[in-house]
Amino acid sequence: MFRGIWSTLVGLLIEDGQLAIGALIALAITWAIAYTGGEQGRDLSGWVLLAIVLALVVANLYRAGVTVRARASSARR
Amino acid sequence: MADNPRVDPITLAIHATPAFVASAVEFVEATTIVLAVGVTRGWRAPLLGTVAATVTLAVIIATLGVAIVTVVPENLLKGVVGALLLLFGLRWLRKAVLRFAGIVAIHDEELIYQREIAELRAQGLQRTHFDWVGFLVAYKAVLLEGTEVAFIVIAFGAAGGIALTAATIGAIAAGLFVIALGVALKKPLTMVPENWLKFGVGAMLCSFGVFWFAEALGMEWPGDALSIPLIVLAFLGASWLAVRMLRVLLPQGARVEARHV
Repeated sequence: MFRGIWSTLVGLLIEDGQLAIGALIALAITWAIAYTGGEQGRDLSGWVLLAIVLALVVANLYRAGVTVRARASSARR
Repeated sequence: MADNPRVDPITLAIHATPAFVASAVEFVEATTIVLAVGVTRGWRAPLLGTVAATVTLAVIIATLGVAIVTVVPENLLKGVVGALLLLFGLRWLRKAVLRFAGIVAIHDEELIYQREIAELRAQGLQRTHFDWVGFLVAYKAVLLEGTEVAFIVIAFGAAGGIALTAATIGAIAAGLFVIALGVALKKPLTMVPENWLKFGVGAMLCSFGVFWFAEALGMEWPGDALSIPLIVLAFLGASWLAVRMLRVLLPQGARVEARHV
């Protein structure tokens, strides 16, 4: 069981580290908006979090694709 | 939602479906391994291993799960669970997108089943005593995957009340469904489109994560739980866009390990 938990943590923080860090920053931004923006900030917080996370997913996968393409083309040379 | 004594079928379905789908993925993996042990070494030891793991899990859930849900304040629990769901969901979603784009190899239950059978045959079978190898392999598999199911139930049921009931019903239904399929077929469940399920579950985990984290901050979503399907659609749309984008970037795919991406 502990090996499973360990491999999940390693996967989350190391293999997918950039995505995890990005998500944590998105959560922190959302928290800040909700606590500093009053009632309007709280009502916007979910939509802001959703927008940031969606952009993060697309950007992270684009970057992964570019990295793999660069590696594949350098391996062919 | 916990204060509402009426069971709204739509809310119940919204909360039970992700737990059903997510648990089904875990049950497919556990069933594949138990089937491999049963077919190669006989059924007594793996079935006893499965029962022992189920009892261990029940103890873990009864002590840890209920304590967490009842002792920790609801908003704090929603915030922490929401953040965790988002982190785990993003990981599932990313891997599913990379698999659909052909960058990472598709998870193959048939291959896992054949590999498990080969390993168990290589270890041999001594018929003089109880088959401890078969027992331990089944126990470990069911406990590992079951722990993930327990996490799913606690996470999806973190709001308490209907949510916890629905998540439990969803997980039990998934277990019964997958076990019945496994018993009927006595073969690995290769027809289950696992990457599609992981794709959907990843989107649902992310959606519940966003929904609960914002609720914990004091946001009131329009239509309450009815906004969850819209958030799921947004995640599915963005992921579909990412798959299309990766297929344009890498038309031949790459077939590399996820850790190298």
